[in-house]
Amino acid sequence: MEPILAVVVGILFAITVFLFLSRSYVRIILGIFLLSNATHLLIFTMGGLTLEVPPLIPPGATVPTEAIANPLPQALILTAIVISFALFAFLLVLTYRAYQALHTVDVDEMRDAEPLVEEDGA
Amino acid sequence: MIAIAVLSGFVLAVFAPFVHRLTKPLSGWVLAALPAAIFFYFVQMMPQIAHGETVRAAWDWVPSFGVTLSFYVDGLSLIFALLISGIGAFIVAYAGGYLKGHKDHGRFMGFILAFMGSMLGLVLADNLITLFVFWELTSITSFLLIGFNHDKPRSRRAAIQALVVTGGGGLALLGGLLLLGVAGGSFELSELLASGSIAENPYYLPIFLLVLAGAFTKSAQVPFHFWLPNAMEAPTPVSAYLHSATMVKAGVYLLARMNPILGGTDIWELVLPVFGGITLLTGTLLGLRQTDVKQILAYTTVASLGLLVMLIGIGTDVAITAAVLYLISHALFKGGLFMVAGSIDHSTGTRETVRLSGLGKVMPLTALAGLLAGLSMMGIWPFFGFIAKEVIYEATLHHDPRMWITAVAIIGNSLMLAAAALVGLRPFFGKLLQTPKEPHEGSPSLWLGALTLGVLGVVFGMMSHFSGEYLVAPMASAIGGRDIHTALHLWPEVSLPLALSGVTIFLGFIWFWQIDHLRSLLYAATQRLWGPDHGSDQFLAALVRVSKNLTGLLQTGRLNFYITFTLTMLALTLGIPVIAYGLLPTSIVLPDVALHIYGVFGLTVVGALALLFARSRLQAILSMGVTGFSVALIFLIFGAPDLAFTQFMVETLSVVIIALVLLRLPVDTYDRRDFLPSLRDAGLAISIGVAFTSIMMAIGAEPLDLTLTEYFAANSYLEAHGRNIVNVILVDFRALDTLGEIAVVLVAGLAALALIKVRDGILTSPDANRVTREDEA
Amino acid sequence: MTLTDWTVVLPVALALGGTALCAVFWWRPVIQSAIGIVITLLMLVSAGVLVCTVATEGPQTMAMSGWPGPFGIVFAVDLLGAGLAFVTALVGLLILIYNFGDQSSDYRRVGYTPLLLAMLAGVSGAFLTGDIFNLYVWFEVLIIGSFGLLILGGKKAQLDGAIKYATLNLLATTFFLIATGLLYGLTGTLNMADLASKVAAVDNRALVNVVAALYLLAFGMKAAAFPLFFWLPASYHTPKPGVSAVFAGLLTKVGVYALYRVFTLIFPASDTIFADLLIWIAGATILAGGLGAIAQTDIRRLVAFTVVGGIGYMLVGLALQSPLALTGGLFYIFHSMLISTALFLAVGIAGRLGGSYDIAKLGGLYRARPAFAMMFLVVLFAVAGVPPFSGFWPKVVLVQASLAADAPWLAGVILVGGFLTLVAVARAFAAAFWDNGEEEPPRATHYGDRVGALMLPTLVIIGLSVLMGLAAEPVVQLAGQAAAGLSDPSAYIEAVLGGSE
Repeated sequence: MEPILAVVVGILFAITVFLFLSRSYVRIILGIFLLSNATHLLIFTMGGLTLEVPPLIPPGATVPTEAIANPLPQALILTAIVISFALFAFLLVLTYRAYQALHTVDVDEMRDAEPLVEEDGA
Repeated sequence: MIAIAVLSGFVLAVFAPFVHRLTKPLSGWVLAALPAAIFFYFVQMMPQIAHGETVRAAWDWVPSFGVTLSFYVDGLSLIFALLISGIGAFIVAYAGGYLKGHKDHGRFMGFILAFMGSMLGLVLADNLITLFVFWELTSITSFLLIGFNHDKPRSRRAAIQALVVTGGGGLALLGGLLLLGVAGGSFELSELLASGSIAENPYYLPIFLLVLAGAFTKSAQVPFHFWLPNAMEAPTPVSAYLHSATMVKAGVYLLARMNPILGGTDIWELVLPVFGGITLLTGTLLGLRQTDVKQILAYTTVASLGLLVMLIGIGTDVAITAAVLYLISHALFKGGLFMVAGSIDHSTGTRETVRLSGLGKVMPLTALAGLLAGLSMMGIWPFFGFIAKEVIYEATLHHDPRMWITAVAIIGNSLMLAAAALVGLRPFFGKLLQTPKEPHEGSPSLWLGALTLGVLGVVFGMMSHFSGEYLVAPMASAIGGRDIHTALHLWPEVSLPLALSGVTIFLGFIWFWQIDHLRSLLYAATQRLWGPDHGSDQFLAALVRVSKNLTGLLQTGRLNFYITFTLTMLALTLGIPVIAYGLLPTSIVLPDVALHIYGVFGLTVVGALALLFARSRLQAILSMGVTGFSVALIFLIFGAPDLAFTQFMVETLSVVIIALVLLRLPVDTYDRRDFLPSLRDAGLAISIGVAFTSIMMAIGAEPLDLTLTEYFAANSYLEAHGRNIVNVILVDFRALDTLGEIAVVLVAGLAALALIKVRDGILTSPDANRVTREDEA
Repeated sequence: MTLTDWTVVLPVALALGGTALCAVFWWRPVIQSAIGIVITLLMLVSAGVLVCTVATEGPQTMAMSGWPGPFGIVFAVDLLGAGLAFVTALVGLLILIYNFGDQSSDYRRVGYTPLLLAMLAGVSGAFLTGDIFNLYVWFEVLIIGSFGLLILGGKKAQLDGAIKYATLNLLATTFFLIATGLLYGLTGTLNMADLASKVAAVDNRALVNVVAALYLLAFGMKAAAFPLFFWLPASYHTPKPGVSAVFAGLLTKVGVYALYRVFTLIFPASDTIFADLLIWIAGATILAGGLGAIAQTDIRRLVAFTVVGGIGYMLVGLALQSPLALTGGLFYIFHSMLISTALFLAVGIAGRLGGSYDIAKLGGLYRARPAFAMMFLVVLFAVAGVPPFSGFWPKVVLVQASLAADAPWLAGVILVGGFLTLVAVARAFAAAFWDNGEEEPPRATHYGDRVGALMLPTLVIIGLSVLMGLAAEPVVQLAGQAAAGLSDPSAYIEAVLGGSE
């Protein structure tokens, strides 16, 4: 099962990269969204896949009674999902403010921090 | 005690401006008390050192690196210390008079005292690293002193040039000293001197070259000579002190110091005399081209340094004695002449030789000082300079039967003689000319030092027995690393050296007589010549250009480039090992699972692809939703309901927020790229995707260590009292991750709030606005 | 659990508590500042205690909620982590004082102090944690804090700089997360001490190298190493000097720290391809920083490039891995944390005095403010590694270590890098301080209000740098001891895992 998901993750990464290479920052934002999803799936795959058995301890038992899905990657991904969502939300606000101030989302036109130097003065 | 002698200069330097303010008219004399006291401290060591003893004192500095604050007094370092502190005392007093009324006078006194401390440290240091520290300190203080008249572009240029040349040489020296420490087995000079030559060591050549780079840059040897005449932009006390008597001799000191360790080899005896000789001729010829007194003196200093390097390179007993004699006499007469030149400048307002004449009547004491120093420089009997010249010829004749070196020495010395006459004699005789200021005799601080040094030039010559015993022999022995005791004779024997002296004086007077022709000839010959002075400007300009271009390659200011480059690096980081280790999968086995699972996988990919080809914002938002929710489905299918639930929540929120923002951005999400860039981007994208897939498959093929998971399963309920293991991990086993996660959410909120609150210009204070305008210009 | 155990987490706990407290007092910037100063002062004390404890008793650990490593998250502190946490608290405290003078209360009102404290929490957490996923979490905390700080003021250049900074740093952190996911798949553990033995036990070295390469990429980018440093000069000059200063002092060092930790403990670099790779990266970074600095016309950008060059020296120490080289590298880290901060602080004062950051427009400060000019010169010389200031000793040691490692060309690169920096700073000083331009009499300069708050922290840091140069031995001893801990991490591993067996 893991190899199939590995292929899916690979495709997601490839699409992410293509989005990132755009000159439109809006596309890069979409890329960031996809990047976090691809990364979470990667971690999920790394923990090994088990079909439809949540890591729960049934009532009455003290330890799981059957083979369960690996809970550790799930916990890591839960943390990562929330973090990447927070960053994503911040970046969206930043994009919006940057657009208000710079009037462009073309990343090659955003030259305020590093303006072009015309003269070659020594 | 030695440490106090060295370090007190720095302490006083810090307080010099205050002392200056308190004792204003006499501050020069007051501050000169310290160098004078140091001078007498070293004087009382003379008998001891003359008897062949050495003194060493050491304190731990950075013992872990084997760095000690250690000082070593032998004949070589003692004479240098005497020159530095003795001339230093006069210079400090002189500066008191010379800069009277200058608004930065106090600061200047501080710099010059700090320089004195650095220079004393340099010559007395026993530890190689300590020596280097003081070496660099002389560069720094000299930078500040040359740039003292910082309003003038020429001063600034000269200061940077001197720092770049000597600083660059200094770094080479550091490399050389560190190698020497390793090769010689010790970082203490006294131990290295005791164990003798390292000529057989495999590192000899790099050490020799690196040390030479340091010495040649500092002592202004061709082709690094150009910074010294430019450094004349500094006030004259600086020129008299740093650029004649002391700092520029640091390179000569270093070569003399290293002679027993590095000297005596073929390359040493070849390189030093050749470069020294070329420098001697270059310096004198370029010097006579000048009409500015200080420039003439500066170029003759270059020439003298060349002569010293040449003599040290020859390395015989007589040559070393000659070097010592010349070094001492040069320090006396050149220090004196610079002070005289400064006094003339101070009094008349000009330094042009053509405008200076007949000053002897109005400035008798300055004239006397100039005369004494000038005659010593010319090598006239009975001055110390005369004895030096005799021994120089003896040394060159001895060494070199084909007379090449002797010929160079004769030409150099005779040209130097003409220069000395030009500077030391001519301004004082003849008819008084009109000068910008009314000439007058200066205050004692302005002539006393020069006069004393001039008198010493005679006294040392007359008392040749004393000077031979207490000054020359100890220093020569220290340089040679063996007992060198050459008898000095004030009354010359009738011999070849005496005849050569005669030739020198004869030639010198011809040059002097024909000085105007000679000057215009030299000027015409060198005017169009490319010189390293110009070259250094070109070097710096080229450095800036190269830097701009190279930096521009990476620092393009375009985010698209930054991202492309970063992702290319990612592709290389992943791709190279994947290919090198052969991790590319050969086949994929499709597992036999329910079709709906493939359906979910397919949906994920379709969603992502739809995102890629979305032409409208709505389409993009919808595709995001499809991808996000299908990822949630994957989580659900593979036993992660908590994850799926969170993913649903977060995706919903994300889609809502991005919809809100995107609807306010009046732009198309679809980007148009040309075909070739698209192809390149697609290639990069696919290679990264393939690499990730390959790596994941390879790692997935390895067995997974489930120790942690088993521990969590076993302890989740029993120890942590939770049945949902994922939750237990989040709130208990790995609670700190959750804490950090909450912090991220909180801070992201704060940051977003700040971003929304801050509006351009509103929240900047009037004061900050001044800078703000610059930023946006 | 004794009190010393608590000092292991106290810096982080204090900073997070302070952030929360400041959020409560959102509209009261004065109270926020007071909280900030008290909190950083307490952090300084606790980190100081921690340094002393670790120096005498060896690495300290604290297992969260009592779950032993490698199962729970263990905070594990060796001398390196403790020392870095100490300097972090110091820099934080001084920056907060500096900002009393730097900004109007309006500016602070929009969250300066809480964002700074959050960043300090992230930085300290990164230095103190013993778990690699937890390290990722602290990276995110400090990154989001730095995003917030970067845009305070909201000027165009800042927003542009923030977009570049945020995008590239987000990529780097994601690479880090991906690498950690892969590493978990390979070893099944996240505790760094546990990883040391687990990674060593993996048979498939190809996969180990792939993961290590990804870590090198991620942390190299965070550290602003060649060739992925461009995000730093693209953004560091845009915010207020007080913010640039704390970024320059702390942020790249977290990346360097992570490289040091990962490539000594988990993937020991000696005798692997990574040692060679790191040497090249280090040399290229030194030259790129030095060359970049020469061409700059904005003094803040010049300083930003010297920060990049400094990273190269630190990586030399890691690349060579000998105890001597590590000592030099660690000394350089401590030196650089102080001096990079001091540079931006001093640049801020210069900008306020001269009304510009353009080197050509500054001019005349030497005439107007000689004492400040000398202060500035000391900082410039220190960053160029001129003796007797703090940058000199690590340079000497690294040259020695390069020669000992039979890499004379690397020694040459170190020296040439110093030369380039010297050229850059001398030119800048002459133009910005010496040159009075056409103006006669020289322009009037005003420090403006509350200059004491600007000067005090700047002077403290410069004083420390000079002290580190003149009395280098204690720093060398500490760096040496920390380096020994990196060369032989058995004490660290023992401290983390000893209890669980």
